[in-house]
Amino acid sequence: MKKAYLPLILLVLVIFEGLAINLLPKEIALSDYLIIAHWVLAFLVYIAVYYDLEDTYYSIVYAFMFGLLIDVVYAGVLGVYMFSYGIAIYAVHGLRKILHRNFYVLLLLCVTAITLADGLIYLMYTVIGVTDMIWSDYLLRRLLPTILANLLFLLLLFPLLKKRIVRWSEEQLDHGN
Amino acid sequence: MRFFRNKRLFIFLIGFILLVVLVGYTFKDRIKVTFAEEFINDAIGWVQYVIHTPVNFTTDVFTNIKDFRNTYEENQVLKEQLSQYRSLIYEVQEVNKENEELRDVLDLMESDSIRSHEAIQAIVIARSPERWLEQVTINKGKNHGVKANMLVMTADGMIGKVQSANEHTARVKLLTGFDQFNRISAMVSRDKGRNIFGMIEGFDEETNSLLFRIIEESEQDIAEDDLVVSSGMGGVFPAGVPIGTVKEVTSDQYGLTQIALVEPSSDMYDINHVIVLDRAVDQVDESSEADDGEEEDNEE
Repeated sequence: MKKAYLPLILLVLVIFEGLAINLLPKEIALSDYLIIAHWVLAFLVYIAVYYDLEDTYYSIVYAFMFGLLIDVVYAGVLGVYMFSYGIAIYAVHGLRKILHRNFYVLLLLCVTAITLADGLIYLMYTVIGVTDMIWSDYLLRRLLPTILANLLFLLLLFPLLKKRIVRWSEEQLDHGN
Repeated sequence: MRFFRNKRLFIFLIGFILLVVLVGYTFKDRIKVTFAEEFINDAIGWVQYVIHTPVNFTTDVFTNIKDFRNTYEENQVLKEQLSQYRSLIYEVQEVNKENEELRDVLDLMESDSIRSHEAIQAIVIARSPERWLEQVTINKGKNHGVKANMLVMTADGMIGKVQSANEHTARVKLLTGFDQFNRISAMVSRDKGRNIFGMIEGFDEETNSLLFRIIEESEQDIAEDDLVVSSGMGGVFPAGVPIGTVKEVTSDQYGLTQIALVEPSSDMYDINHVIVLDRAVDQVDESSEADDGEEEDNEE
C-alpha cells in the first residue's frame, strides 16, 4: 500500500498542473513570458535523488508513465513529454551516482532536468511545427522563467517531502545493510 | 560489459523509433482519439472538475478584493450605460418582431446564424500547462452533444473550437493557438455597400493579434475599431459570432492584399464559463453529408 504513495502524489501533481496558470498573477500570465509548470518533473527529481538506489529505476519508469499521462491529458501529441521527462530523469539518475546527495546537488540536478526536458520539448515541438520561436527568444522568454518558477516549487516541497521520501526509500527498498 | 553497452544502445534505438512513430501518428489535429485516451481523459477530467471548484473559489476571492477598489467608478459608468440600454432593448424588440414578420412573408428559412444554433453551457476545468498548445479542457463531451469542430465562445465572443471530444470532456483549441490549418471565414459588416469578407488565418505572437486577410473588399475601406464577426461561409462555424476588433491595417508581404490585425474580443486568460454552439437539429439533416466532408480536412 505504501508503495502507492509516490504514484498517487505524481497523479495529483498532473491534475494540479492544469490549474497552475490560475496561480500566476494576471500580469505575468498575459505577458510575453511563458512559465510552464513542470511540477511532475520536479517531484521526479526528488524520487531520483532521495528514493532510488543505484540499481533501482523507479524514477525513470515513473518519468515515462507520467510523461505519457501529461501527453494524453494536456497535449494530444503523444510521446513528447514522455521521452523528454524520461531522458531528463535518466540523466539525473546517472549524475547522482557521481555526486554527493545534498541540498545543492538537488538544486543543480533540478536545473539540469528542467533544462534538458524543456529543451527537448522545444526541439520536438519545433520539428513538428507546433512552435516557431527562435532559440534566443526561447531561452529568455520561456526557459529562464520556467527554471526559476519550478525551482521555487522545488524549494516549497523540500521541508514537506525530503524526510518522508528518504524514510519511504528505507522502508520499501532493500538498502543492503 | 560489452553486452550491456549494446543492450543500452539497442534500447535507445528502439525508444527513438517508438518516439518517432508515436509523435508522427498523433501530431496532426486529430478529431478521433483512441478509447484508452478517452477513458484517461474522462477519469482525470472528473477529478479536475471536483478540484477546480475550490481552487477557483480562492482565486476568485483575490480578484474580487482587487475589483472592490474601482467599484464606485464602474457603477457610475454602468448606470449611464443602463439608461441607454433601456431604449435599445425596446428598439431591438421592435426590430425583431418586424424581422420575424418579414421573414414569414418571404417564407424564408432561418439563416445559418447564431440564433439557429443550440447552446451547450460548459465550464473550463483545466488549462494545458504547455502554453504553446493553447488548449483548455471543458466539462461537456459527446454525451452532451459536443462534437469536434464546434465553435466555442464566451459572452464576449469567440474563443476557439472543439478539437476533440471525449465522452464527458472535450479539448478546446483557443484562438491564440490557431494556425493556417484552422481558418475561420469572417467579415466586417457595413451599413451601406458590400460587406468586407476575408479569412482569419491564424494568430501572430509578435503583435498578439489575429491575422485577418481581406479577400473581398468593399467600397468602404476597413478601418480601426471595426468589429470582425464570423461569416458562416465555411459551413462549419455559424455566422454572427464576434471575433475581435481591428487594431491596425497593413498589406501582406507582396503588397497585393490587405491584412488587418484583429484583437480578440474575449479574454483568453480568464475563461471560466463557455458556450459550445451546436448546429440546430433540423440543419444537421440537410447538411450532414457536406459537414462530414469538411470535418475531414479540419478547416473552415
